[in-house]
Amino acid sequence: MYRRDSSLFSRLVLRVALVLAAGAAILMSGAWFYARAAADDAYDRLLLGAAIQMMEGLAVEEGAFAVNLPSSAFELLGLAGRDRIFYRVTDPSGRTLTGYEDLAPDVDLTKVGPGPVFLNLRYRGEPLRVVVAGRAISDPAMSGWAHVVVAQTTQARQALASELTTRALVMVVIMSGLALIGTALAVRYSLRPVAVLGETLASRDPQDLTPLAVTVPRELSPFVASINHFVRRLDERVKLLQRFIADSAHQIRTPLTALSAQVSLINEDNLSDSDRRHLERVRNRAGELARFTNQLLNHAMVIHRFDSAQLLPLDLTRVARKAFRAAVPITIDPDIVVSFEAPDEDVTVLGDELSLREAIINVIDNSLRHGTVSRLEVRVARSEGFGFVEVEDDGPGIPPNDWSHVTQRFVTSKSGEGSAGLGFAIASEVAAALGGALTFREKTEDHGFTVLLKLPLHREDKL
Amino acid sequence: MRKMALRAIVAFLAVLAAYPAAALEGERALFPAKQEEKARLIIHAATDLEAMRPLILDFQEAAPDIAIEFTDYVTNDLFREAEEACREGRADGDLLLSSSVDQLVKLANDGCASPHSSFVTQSVPDWANWREEVYGFTFEPAVIVYDGARVPPEDVPRSHEDLSDLLRRKPEVYRGRIGTYDINASGIGYLLAFHDARQAPTVYGRLLESFSRAEAVTRCCNNEVLGEIASGKIRIAYNILGSYAYAAYRHNPDLRIVVPRDYALILSRGALIPAKTARPDLAARFLDYLLSGRGQRVAREKAFFFSEKSPLPPGVDGPPALMESGIGRPIRIGPALLAAQDRAQRERFIASWTSLFVKPVR
Repeated sequence: MYRRDSSLFSRLVLRVALVLAAGAAILMSGAWFYARAAADDAYDRLLLGAAIQMMEGLAVEEGAFAVNLPSSAFELLGLAGRDRIFYRVTDPSGRTLTGYEDLAPDVDLTKVGPGPVFLNLRYRGEPLRVVVAGRAISDPAMSGWAHVVVAQTTQARQALASELTTRALVMVVIMSGLALIGTALAVRYSLRPVAVLGETLASRDPQDLTPLAVTVPRELSPFVASINHFVRRLDERVKLLQRFIADSAHQIRTPLTALSAQVSLINEDNLSDSDRRHLERVRNRAGELARFTNQLLNHAMVIHRFDSAQLLPLDLTRVARKAFRAAVPITIDPDIVVSFEAPDEDVTVLGDELSLREAIINVIDNSLRHGTVSRLEVRVARSEGFGFVEVEDDGPGIPPNDWSHVTQRFVTSKSGEGSAGLGFAIASEVAAALGGALTFREKTEDHGFTVLLKLPLHREDKL
Repeated sequence: MRKMALRAIVAFLAVLAAYPAAALEGERALFPAKQEEKARLIIHAATDLEAMRPLILDFQEAAPDIAIEFTDYVTNDLFREAEEACREGRADGDLLLSSSVDQLVKLANDGCASPHSSFVTQSVPDWANWREEVYGFTFEPAVIVYDGARVPPEDVPRSHEDLSDLLRRKPEVYRGRIGTYDINASGIGYLLAFHDARQAPTVYGRLLESFSRAEAVTRCCNNEVLGEIASGKIRIAYNILGSYAYAAYRHNPDLRIVVPRDYALILSRGALIPAKTARPDLAARFLDYLLSGRGQRVAREKAFFFSEKSPLPPGVDGPPALMESGIGRPIRIGPALLAAQDRAQRERFIASWTSLFVKPVR
């Protein structure tokens, strides 16, 4: 749907570059015209100056035309460096007095008058710039307009024009380059809030349904407002759903207790073996249902508490010990060795006691139900600014591939075995809410499979 | 000496025989290649063969497989022939060398030259290069030559002014004993006279007047004028190219050379590669050689003797620092020379010049 390369940055920069290129092209054409006009103007003056000097040398002596071309006229033209010079002087009758007789510009000399007339001409295969100027001769012998035609090749003016154009080109290129670089920097700077917003969104906890708290430019506010609006609605929905689940669980618990009590009142003596087996199954299922309902309630409770409860410094060892006692039933199989190891030093974390205890209970309970064969060890430890509750058993453990999703609700490593698997989810949510995490350690020859509840130590404790 | 005199007579006879009818060729010489000939360079020059010989031979040291055909012309003939060849679009010589640079500039202006630039040509001074088509490759002051045996020391002219004063003071002694170019016949004579008239109009006017009164003798070429001194017919020659004068001085110590102390025109002999030639590459190579350090050294030692960067050669009477003092006035190779080549201008100038000279009596 979306082309990957159409970034805002490249779109903006491309368009600005196009505008700049168009502007540069227009400027360059203008510079070229201007340079040509300037060069023509400058060298036309030389040409006219030379023509005027040549005309000064025209005189009628003893009834005949005398032409005395001053060297200075040629020196003046010589200022154009390498350009070749052609000229022709005509008397009032149009006869060529001196110079290049075949230099015939396409003008009617009788109409030029004093001139000057500038024109371009091709002569001997070369482009020429020509000036025609006249001088009135009033002598009894002859009178009328004598003309001087002075022409010069155009190398010098072309060189000047191209030099001027080149300089303008350099300026325009430098300016355009600077403008483009400036634009790129400005666009990059202006688009930074977008990237920041993106990063904020990406780094958010998936559970976090609070509104976004980022400062963005005015143009991005509607976008952020829409996101926040959406998040708020989603949050309301989720809360509604959770309350519904909690209410349902609560509603289910009362009849379930009654059901368990009724089942325990059934007199088994009169039952047939098969009925007894059925009754046993009903009892088990009812127990499971009760535990699940409890977990749902606990879960709802944990979520609710983090929304409202104040976090306090807690002794992790004490909480873990309480949880250990609560989780390990008195009726446990005597073949199973259970142990609790506490560290010598204090392990203080910031948390909510009830939630934390619930989390640890769930981990131990999970281990007893699904892992433990003959040994269960619960340890509290601290290292590198974190407190740990480690629950190790000698069971087969969870393969690493499944680690990421056993912490999701209603997933267990062993599907179809009764537990709805809210245990790890609750523990994980609690750990995350307290800034820690639920992690796993693989089974090795020395250790059994271990579940670790990792929580940051309380700050005062760290100091 | 005998050869020179003989040549002078031959040339003079040719002048008498109304030479413009046929292109007058002075001397033709073939310099065979030192090794097997692979290419031939044809040089048309208005330059004394004796002056060019050491340069050509030295060039052949570096390029032993090139033969050189050298033809010496009078400047005007060289120009006429080159102009005709250019107009008709045929090749005529691979390289033109002429002391009459105004004619070369005119050829270049008319599109008869092809440009050449190389590392070597970068070092040519600005005044001796136009359009990279005409290069000046020598440095030759116009000097006064006198016969040391016949001109007493108190009469030696050291400036233009001195010369006209001398002719005014002793008209009888020097009547018919002053020689200079016939600017009608010699392009270089015209060029020098034209620039004299521009540089110092008054001084030159008086000088011409003195010449006229002293019944000055005119000859077509440098060597003829010098020959007249050697033979004792004339005593003082005006506007002789320093290089020829010095070459003559080396053979005949009686000749004395004075570089004028008021101003001295300096000519740079021009070289031009025609637009149409058989071997422009060879011409360019020879031109590079002429402009190179080696060519310039050989020119200073054996061919043209004067040089812009070194002092005057021994035996020459003249100002100590020719260029720095501003006395040396180089004739700039550039479009200003076109004024000298203007037809009307030239006719007027020559007419007024000729009117001042009484026809030389032979």
